[in-house]
Amino acid sequence: MASLGALVLVLAFIASACAAAASVAGARRGNNRLVESGIGAFYTVAALLTVTSGLITYAFVAGDYSIKYVQRYSDSAQPLFYKITSYWGGLDGSIMFWAFLLSVFGAVAVKVNRERHRELIPYVVAVTSIVEMFFLFLMVVHKNPFDTFLTESPTDGRGLNPLLQNFYMAIHPPTMYLGFVGLTIPFAFGMAALITGHLDDSWLRAVRRWTMFSWFFLTLGLTLGMLWAYEELGWGGFWGWDPVENAGALPWFTATAFLHSVMVQERRGMLRVWNVTLVIVTFLLTIVGTFLTRSGVVQSVHAFGEDPQLARLFIAFMLATTAFCFSMVVYRLPMLKARHELDSWISREAAFLANNWVLLFSAFFILFATLFPTISEAINGERLTVGPPFFNKWMTPIGLGLLFLTGVGPLMAWRKSSLSNLAGQFLWPAVCGLIAGGAAVALGVRVWSSGICFAFCGFVFGTIAQEFVRGGYVRKGMTGADLFTATIGLVARNKRRYGGYIVHVGIVLIFLGFAGQGFSRDQQLLLKPGQQATFEHYTLRLDALRVTDDGQKQMITGHMTVMDESGKELGKMYPAKWFFRKHEEEPTSEVAIRRSFAEDLYIVMPAFEMQEQTASVEVHINPLVNWIWVGFGVLAIGTAIALMPESAFGFALAKLPAEAATATMLLFVLLFSPGVVFAQHVEAPQQATLIVRSPLERAVARKLACWCGGCSKLPVDTCVCGHCANVKEEIAQQAKLGKTADQILQFFVAQQGGQHVLSEPASGIGRFAWVIPYGIGAMGLAIVGIAAIRWSRRREADEAQAESSDVPSDNPADAALNAQLDDELRDLD
Amino acid sequence: MKNKAIKVGLTGLVLVLAFGGLMYSTLAEGTEYYKHVDEVMGQPSEWYGKRLQLHGYVVPDSVFVNKRTLEYHFKVQSNGQTVDARYTGVVPDTFKDDAEVVLKGTLAADGFSVVPNGVMAKCPSKYEPKPGASTSGSR
Repeated sequence: MASLGALVLVLAFIASACAAAASVAGARRGNNRLVESGIGAFYTVAALLTVTSGLITYAFVAGDYSIKYVQRYSDSAQPLFYKITSYWGGLDGSIMFWAFLLSVFGAVAVKVNRERHRELIPYVVAVTSIVEMFFLFLMVVHKNPFDTFLTESPTDGRGLNPLLQNFYMAIHPPTMYLGFVGLTIPFAFGMAALITGHLDDSWLRAVRRWTMFSWFFLTLGLTLGMLWAYEELGWGGFWGWDPVENAGALPWFTATAFLHSVMVQERRGMLRVWNVTLVIVTFLLTIVGTFLTRSGVVQSVHAFGEDPQLARLFIAFMLATTAFCFSMVVYRLPMLKARHELDSWISREAAFLANNWVLLFSAFFILFATLFPTISEAINGERLTVGPPFFNKWMTPIGLGLLFLTGVGPLMAWRKSSLSNLAGQFLWPAVCGLIAGGAAVALGVRVWSSGICFAFCGFVFGTIAQEFVRGGYVRKGMTGADLFTATIGLVARNKRRYGGYIVHVGIVLIFLGFAGQGFSRDQQLLLKPGQQATFEHYTLRLDALRVTDDGQKQMITGHMTVMDESGKELGKMYPAKWFFRKHEEEPTSEVAIRRSFAEDLYIVMPAFEMQEQTASVEVHINPLVNWIWVGFGVLAIGTAIALMPESAFGFALAKLPAEAATATMLLFVLLFSPGVVFAQHVEAPQQATLIVRSPLERAVARKLACWCGGCSKLPVDTCVCGHCANVKEEIAQQAKLGKTADQILQFFVAQQGGQHVLSEPASGIGRFAWVIPYGIGAMGLAIVGIAAIRWSRRREADEAQAESSDVPSDNPADAALNAQLDDELRDLD
Repeated sequence: MKNKAIKVGLTGLVLVLAFGGLMYSTLAEGTEYYKHVDEVMGQPSEWYGKRLQLHGYVVPDSVFVNKRTLEYHFKVQSNGQTVDARYTGVVPDTFKDDAEVVLKGTLAADGFSVVPNGVMAKCPSKYEPKPGASTSGSR
């Protein structure tokens, strides 16, 4: 099966080469049949890569550990879900997954646009195929996921690290890939337009949806990553400016810029060079992101694999792409002349331009700061790094500027805004902003960035509300319907515009969450059961520190009660520390979060002392953090509205929005109503009398086999039956008497006999028990040897007998046959 | 037309200068040296007081922790050179003997003091698990 997979990969490479060659040749000669065959080959690539994906998934599910990749990232004990997601768990597979998605996206994009953009399609096929070829080449030559072990193949896999067996970690990568890969399609269309010279706005219309779709998945991927970091890592934050995170954010900025500047080109025919450049830059940044996370160029807290050969391949590809793309842009510059000039700086185009600059600057700032260690090392040989404070210092004003522009853009008129017009437009939003800012200050916000952020949030919200209300009134006047229906009709008529506004509302909410970070607080507390401590307006009491076991892991859980200032109980929270079997030295912290719209109470228990029954907990108060997730929900709704196809229009207008909105709001209220989130708290664990075992106790328990009769002689250490719990208790008591491991084992040997000791204590009956199998083995060997000798003697005796019986052995026929045989054998040699 | 070119050029220049200056000043206070333990401990006195990110491995059995105050004392080594480190606060789950860590802080004659939240232990990566990390499953 592995060889089939490898073969199909090579076939896919050949097919994409065919697709690229045939479509270019067909387009140049004007031969439609060649173009058609190119498209056919292009579809074939998608089909072939679907086959390889199926094969590797099957290999994971069936446990074909002769394939190195499967052996490395899964094992037989893994749940099915993680076996399937292991497909993209490692380097080789993630490249294949990338290529697979690209082939499918490409096929869909070509299928959809085949008739409408006939002139572009051959080159879209060619560009996509060439990108596809690069990734296929990587796999075939360097990182083949179907590589097998040359000699003996292992019977079981090494398994995915349990820390990565996490729901978010399973779905976060594919959403990121969807976004990354999807951005190749706009690039392919942009390049096709450049190559063919069909540089009117038609290619933009073809890629608008793709960009929005990819942008959405990129946003989703980033949000999931933040959510994972927040709920799992236990440091109380969600974004640490790690190179991996930055790599994901880079194309997001440029894609956002593109989504905006497209509108300027459509409306005013300006910024055409800019748009083409943005598409190219965005694509290059997705490749840079892929490269950064896989090549080891950047030192990160994520231990990337260092792979200089892969790095060189990527660099070669990036350099070639950059050179080709930008020389195409320069070559087509005369055709990319703007139809209009900027009339005034007080216009919507100017606002868009400013927004583009800021977004692009953000992208390059992040790229610069991420690569800063590498750059500084290259320049003066000293590896200098910049930390999160540096990023925050820069990105806070940049983010605020962006937020402000979000509010300004819609208030400006195209071409030129007159002053009186401006005053009317800005009045209400500015009032909203002032009220929000004033309220924030009055409520005691003393962090300047957060205060300004609240004011700007108010301002943008005012802008959007004004747009909706004004539009609604206009439409009400036109149709005579009530205001609410009119507004919905308005949204349905201008899905892109008003969907975009809803996306902006989402962004505002996300910024609210960011602003909350400005005044998050944390404190460490040391508690004994029954003790309570006060942190801000919460009083926390540790009720108990309990040890439970569900067979897979030991869980040390702090049972805590949260009360408000008046002593009224708000709820129970369960921060925990989990010790997975076989991974006891790597406990995982389980965070307890009490969510509400205003703030999260976030408790981690980094350390505990079982003997003294103390737990030290770290308590964070994270204001407004949930608005980030809510904001993403709103953003998703906005994107869905903007993406809704025209055909869905009537249906959507008739029914959906009102109910959808109500239902979604209800859902959010339910989801985020104040209540404790038990961060994976196991509700009804098997109560066990276990406590944390000392290394000595564990060592002894490992050496004893369970003798209850029902547990197939598992080591007591890993066995979970009640009998073994008693044995462990006994070991603990013996250990308390100050005995050594051997003495404890002797105690059990005296009590139960030596048959339960898994490896020998170095004396007496234990050693005897240990010797027996070797003795038996040696005896068996001796018997075999003696038998062999005797049989061979018998044969000699037989032959002697035969010779003595004088059978004519020099039969001429036999001699002839033997000679012939010798000849033939010689030839063979 | 020429007038416009000058305007644009001047604006660009001012912007670039402003950003460059700002970048330079923030970089000066924002940067930290990224060093391996052996690079620093060769000439420790040269590094006293400078902000460092120190890369090394936790020496086995060297971690002493006061679980009441969460004060950590441990040694970090790379290529045979070790340094004493102290830290107060929460360490990541992956911090343990032999873990690959990056510590933020400053060096002094009495050892390396780590700033709050300055302990980063390398995550087990999706892409290339460390040889040491992957064996723990089979033990």
